[in-house]
Amino acid sequence: MASLEERIDALTEAQLRHGLEVFRSKLRAAEAAYLNACVHCGLCADSCHYYRTEPALENVPARKLDHVAAAFKRHFTTAGRLVPRLVGARPFDRAMVRAWLDSVFGRCTLCGRCSLNCTIGIGLPRVFRAARAALAAMGLVPDDLQATVDNSLVHGNNMAITKEDWVDTVQWLEEELQMETGDPGARIPLDKQGARVLFTVNPREPKFFPLSLQASAKVFWAAGEDWTLASDPGWDLTNYGLFNCNDEQAGRITQNLVDAMERLGCTTLVIGECGHGFGSARWEGPEWLQRRYPFELCSVLELMDEYLTSGRIAVDPSRNPKPVTLHDPCNLVRHGGVSEPQRRVLRRSVAHFVEMTPSREQSFCCGGGGGQLAMAAYKDRRIRAGGMKAQQIRATGAEIVVAPCHNCIDQLMELNKEYTLGIQVKTVAEMVAEALVTAGPSPSEGKTTT
Amino acid sequence: MDQPLHLAVIAAAAWAAGTLAWVWLGVRGFGRRVLLAPPAGDPAAGVRYAFTAAMLPWAKESVRMHLPSYATGIVFHLGTFVAFGLLAATVAGFELPPALAPTGAIVMLAGAGAGLALLVKRIATPFLRGLSSPDDFIANLLTTSFGALAAVTLLHPQLESAWLITAVVLLVYLPVGKIRHCVVFFSSRAYMGAFFGYRGTFPSARQGR
Ligand code: SF4
Ligand code: SF4
Repeated sequence: MASLEERIDALTEAQLRHGLEVFRSKLRAAEAAYLNACVHCGLCADSCHYYRTEPALENVPARKLDHVAAAFKRHFTTAGRLVPRLVGARPFDRAMVRAWLDSVFGRCTLCGRCSLNCTIGIGLPRVFRAARAALAAMGLVPDDLQATVDNSLVHGNNMAITKEDWVDTVQWLEEELQMETGDPGARIPLDKQGARVLFTVNPREPKFFPLSLQASAKVFWAAGEDWTLASDPGWDLTNYGLFNCNDEQAGRITQNLVDAMERLGCTTLVIGECGHGFGSARWEGPEWLQRRYPFELCSVLELMDEYLTSGRIAVDPSRNPKPVTLHDPCNLVRHGGVSEPQRRVLRRSVAHFVEMTPSREQSFCCGGGGGQLAMAAYKDRRIRAGGMKAQQIRATGAEIVVAPCHNCIDQLMELNKEYTLGIQVKTVAEMVAEALVTAGPSPSEGKTTT
Repeated sequence: MDQPLHLAVIAAAAWAAGTLAWVWLGVRGFGRRVLLAPPAGDPAAGVRYAFTAAMLPWAKESVRMHLPSYATGIVFHLGTFVAFGLLAATVAGFELPPALAPTGAIVMLAGAGAGLALLVKRIATPFLRGLSSPDDFIANLLTTSFGALAAVTLLHPQLESAWLITAVVLLVYLPVGKIRHCVVFFSSRAYMGAFFGYRGTFPSARQGR
């Protein structure tokens, strides 16, 4: 396959026009306002982890926005058509395509931290998503990112795990769970018809982090939850369509979840610990599919919070004595609106919880978001940009970083090595499972006894 | 002598209002996004938060980190608003009470000084220079001159013509470049607030949710 550079060189005028049309089709009044609004004050610069770790013009959020706004002004505003030089309008040509690619794929995790810190309040990631969609329409998504999407489309999960391997892993984990709990009745149900909860996971769990899936299963076991996994597509919560910004493909991946819910007759779709998976399923999925879900959806963090608040499970924080801090995945917290359940859960489950500064919606991206983990070409930038998160972590003095997102976990593990942080990285469920004080559900009532 | 200039100001203001309305309608013409995901919060509360607490130093890191620039920007805007108020009063034939003149002049001079300071910062800061288009310099120079001349006119009324001519040029230029943010600031911030309000991120959990 031709490289991105070669593909850009080979772009025809018709392809460029098509890219521009797709870009225009993704804009609504909000984005049109954003594209007219930047005053070039530069106050957003320090909000971006790329700029903070490499203070270069191209890393300033407003500069990234400017590349997109320049083409917008040139093609869609009167001033941009009449006096392009004066207002910084430029045509959508190959040079512009290169600038877009480098900015919106190569220097941005779509984390949205700049939006909160922008003088005007420009929602930069919404604009960047429209630009990524245009590049996708011209076949200019970095190959490895697109391959991840293709895996989901072809295999039903982003790591191309076969059904046989998935089912084997689940069965093996079920045996492990039975050994761990001492309960031969402990189950990790597969395809249980009519279960209340369909639990979805990141394929990194069966592939690299089976203990985190086992931890979630242990929490469900302790809570006596009526739950299941799906063996066919619909078990993988990830959706890299959020990052290649091809809404049609993103919609098809979301449809896997909807199909699994309908196939199994579950009432609540529970999204495991994954920021972009939550953002995709909770917020973007209905828009991609252009319909509301006929079922409930929540994050497993909200479910664990509910278990603890209602007393359905009990925990002993002294079982997690090391100092713990929490990473806020951008798509779960800033863009997802879920910031407190995980905090309530951790405050109950660990002995020493310390917040990062800043945290919640002001938290720094770990650097792995926006599909960066899947784009090898930008790896050096990703690791450097992660330096902000490394600083934040180090300042807490924590020995364990809890990250309710498997993509973030991958990045944090790399940062751990690169910046010699000396930390362990865990999920919320792993902390809860460790702290559980329970004899498990009594066979008769299927509920927790503590 | 000033009567034709007053008419020119009125005509330029009408142009500015009309073209800004055109810009605003153009933005609205892109259509609204109909959201199908159920909300987790209240978009209206998000908008209220975006226009209030979210702009204050304790909620906004960029303000905390750049307090002098933030304050300079506020003074610049304040001076400009006062100058526009004075322009409206002048064209409408209202006499400013003499006691107010010195205060008005000080605010507008401070505003002009702040504008100048921001211009110097733009020129002196490499990444800001790199970000800038000619519009950034023209918009600043016009607004700063307008504020400065307004202040001078208060003290030396014989210079009013020069101020009114600057006002006409500023008003004619206003919708062309970045000064159009006088309209899109409000829509952008409202959209941003509604977005984060809908998703339950605004108002910040730090506000006690
Ligand atoms: S969205 Fe995040 S990564 Fe992208 S420019 Fe803004 S702060 Fe930087
Ligand atoms: S803070 Fe906002 S208005 Fe200022 S330069 Fe950055 S994006 Fe533009």
